[in-house]
Formats: sequence, structure tokens, C-alpha cells
Amino acid sequence: MKVIECSNLTKSYLRKKVLNQLTFSIEENTITGLIGKNGVGKTTLLKILAGYIKQTSGEINVFSEKPFNSLLVSANTIFVDDQMSFPSPLQLHEILQAAGSLYPNWDMTFANRLFHYFSFDPKHYHNRLSKGKTSTFNAIIGLASRAPLTIFDEPTTGMDAAARRDFYRALLKDYLTYPRTIIISSHHLEELENLLEDVLLIKDGNNHLHLPIEELKEQAIGLKGAEETILNWTKDREVYYKNQIGTNTLYAVVRNEFSEQELQLAKENEIEITSVSPSDLCVYLTGETKRGIDDVFIDR
Amino acid sequence: MAILNTDGTKPIYMQIAEWLETEIMNGHFQTDEKVYSQYQLAEMYTINPATAAKGLNLLADENILYKKRGLGMFVSENAKERIIQKRKNQTLKRLIEEVVLEARRLKIGETELIDMIKASQSGGGVA
Repeated sequence: MKVIECSNLTKSYLRKKVLNQLTFSIEENTITGLIGKNGVGKTTLLKILAGYIKQTSGEINVFSEKPFNSLLVSANTIFVDDQMSFPSPLQLHEILQAAGSLYPNWDMTFANRLFHYFSFDPKHYHNRLSKGKTSTFNAIIGLASRAPLTIFDEPTTGMDAAARRDFYRALLKDYLTYPRTIIISSHHLEELENLLEDVLLIKDGNNHLHLPIEELKEQAIGLKGAEETILNWTKDREVYYKNQIGTNTLYAVVRNEFSEQELQLAKENEIEITSVSPSDLCVYLTGETKRGIDDVFIDR
Repeated sequence: MAILNTDGTKPIYMQIAEWLETEIMNGHFQTDEKVYSQYQLAEMYTINPATAAKGLNLLADENILYKKRGLGMFVSENAKERIIQKRKNQTLKRLIEEVVLEARRLKIGETELIDMIKASQSGGGVA
């Protein structure tokens, strides 16, 4: 079942189109990473999905309903980011209580365990938490609500390395027991790539790539060797990235369409073959100056 | 929590498959014994269950594991032999090709290379 379906989704602020004719769908109970550079409309997209804002044109359905002004979508969705606002007179434990009354799947035991594990003081106030603690607290709300559609917009902002790792592991463990549809936007793909099933990569609000993370990992290959040899090998191929090292060495990232025999031959030609991490590839794919790249994106 | 090599040199699902192979080789899983489910593997390695399933399916495609619908994956008869054959024909072959290539770069002759391999085999390490 598809939890999210959108077609030709467009959002403009004044005359600037932030999202332009975006079409994709997201399957139920998958974890999707939303990747893209700053300002490509990731947060705008997530807020439209959550029903916080309305699109300018195009169709969007979440749980088969238009999310804006939908009670069904509101009750089944949680949107977590570092701007989440809670009534300032409430202490943290009161916020947990209140959240519990709002979300039907809320697990108070789980919330309390996370709360104590991350050493929160029940009598503390949300607006006095540090940046990392704010993110951690919000993440607890996001996890314990167990909303069928859970959206995390940059959930780890300010968290230290240990907290980030704990959060990712808690997310995965809870997902295994209580599968739900999760979308996480992040600039740290390398940290969460193992958690993901799919990646939705947005480039300038309209070109995008939506595919299983395992395919993204196999999409490209790095070739390093003498400039002339590399140029020869990458001729007529889709080059995502090129980097000159020293005077005569070239590193090129190309679409991986080589056969085993070709790779063996490349090795014999003194070409060093490396895999390309999804995180690096996303940087190359969303870069603005690389030639040939647009062919990869679904043309709309 | 199990540790994966995350430098991106080898896909996670292949690392999972190789680890299961090693477990079978070590005798941790016997013929017709059930191996870990995709959810157990996902929990152990903190990976998406779809990735874990891909590792299991890889071994099923190679007839090292077999599926019982609704019950999980089990170790095939002759799984060990299949793993040995596969590693010999793929992993070991590739490693040897790399060794030969590096020896060629260093202009090390066949005799010297074989001597080095022999020295390594007899436990002396490569001089």
C-alpha cells in the first residue's frame, strides 16, 4: 500500500518555485531518507506531507486524503524538527503526558525509558534545554508516538555522536517491532544509510531520484589512474565527478555499467577501482556544475 | 552490537552474506538448521531489514540457503562445499590476481613470488 502519493506537486513562495512538479510515492512501512542540499525544498515537502502547509498546485494524498486540514492525517502523522513548540508552562514530564493523550499509539513506558536513558529531568522546561537536548527530547516524542507516518526533519541537529548513534539504533529497533512509514531528512547520509530502505534525492526542487539505497550504492564506481587512461575509459560514459590529483592522475566517478571482464581489464591497465559511498554520490549528483548528470534524474 | 565495515568498499548485504557463510563454515549452523531472520540480522547490525533480506536472498540464490515459506531460511545440504567453491573461484582468485598485479608492478619474478607465498604458508609471514 502506498502511504504517500503525489503528482506534479508544486509549491511557490512569491514568484520562486521551491518545489516544481514533483511526482513520487512512498510505500507503507518503509524508511526513506530525504536528501538534498540546503534550500531545495526538503522541509517544505515534509510540511506539505504533514498537512502544515498547502501546495500551490499538483496532487498530494497521504493515507488517501489531502493532508491539509485533514484530521485523519494529523492524527496519524508526527512531524519532528528542532522547531517543535510545546506550551512553555509545561514541565517535560507534563509534555510527555500531553503527547500521550494526542497520539493513539503512544507508548508511555517506552517514552519514559528513553527519557531516563538520556538523563532528562522531569521538572525541566523545554525552552531551557540545550540545542542537542532539544533535538533528543523531540526525537523521543517522535519515537514514542509511533505515528503510522513519522517524519523527522533533521532530527539530530546538535546531538553529540553518542546521542545520534543511540537515536538511530532506537529508531531501528522500535521500527522492527512496530513497523511504520518513516521519512528522515538529513545531511548526514553516511550516518543513517544503513537504516534506510529507499532514498529520495531532490535536486533544485524538481529533478529527483527515488530508488532503493542498495541501488544507489551500486549506481556509481570510482576510477583512479593515469589521466589519459581514465579519459579513454570514461569516454561515452556518464561522468558524475572528476578530480585531478597531481599532474597526471585523474579520479572519475562514473555510472557503473562495467562488466566483470571490463573491470578486470581496467585493473590490468593500472586503474584503481573503488566504490563510491552514497553520501559522496549524493553530493556529486546534487552538484550544479557536473555535466551529464541530469540524464540520471527522472525527466519531467 | 555487531560491527560493519562502513567505508563503502563492500555493500552491507554482501557483508551480511559473508558473515553468514563464515558462521556456516565454523559450524555454528548445521545442515537444515534455521539461520537468523532478516529482522534478527537487522537488529544485530542496525541495518534496514530489506538490506538484511537481500543478503539472505543472495545466499538462497546460490543455493547455500533454502527457503521454507513462512518459516525462514535454512542451511542447504552441501552448503559448506558450495561456499568453499565460491570463495575459491571468486574471492581467492581475485586476491591472487591482485597479488600477481602488484608483483608485476614491483617487478618481482615468478620464483620470488612463489617463495614469498611459501614463506607465508609456513607461518613465517611475508619477509
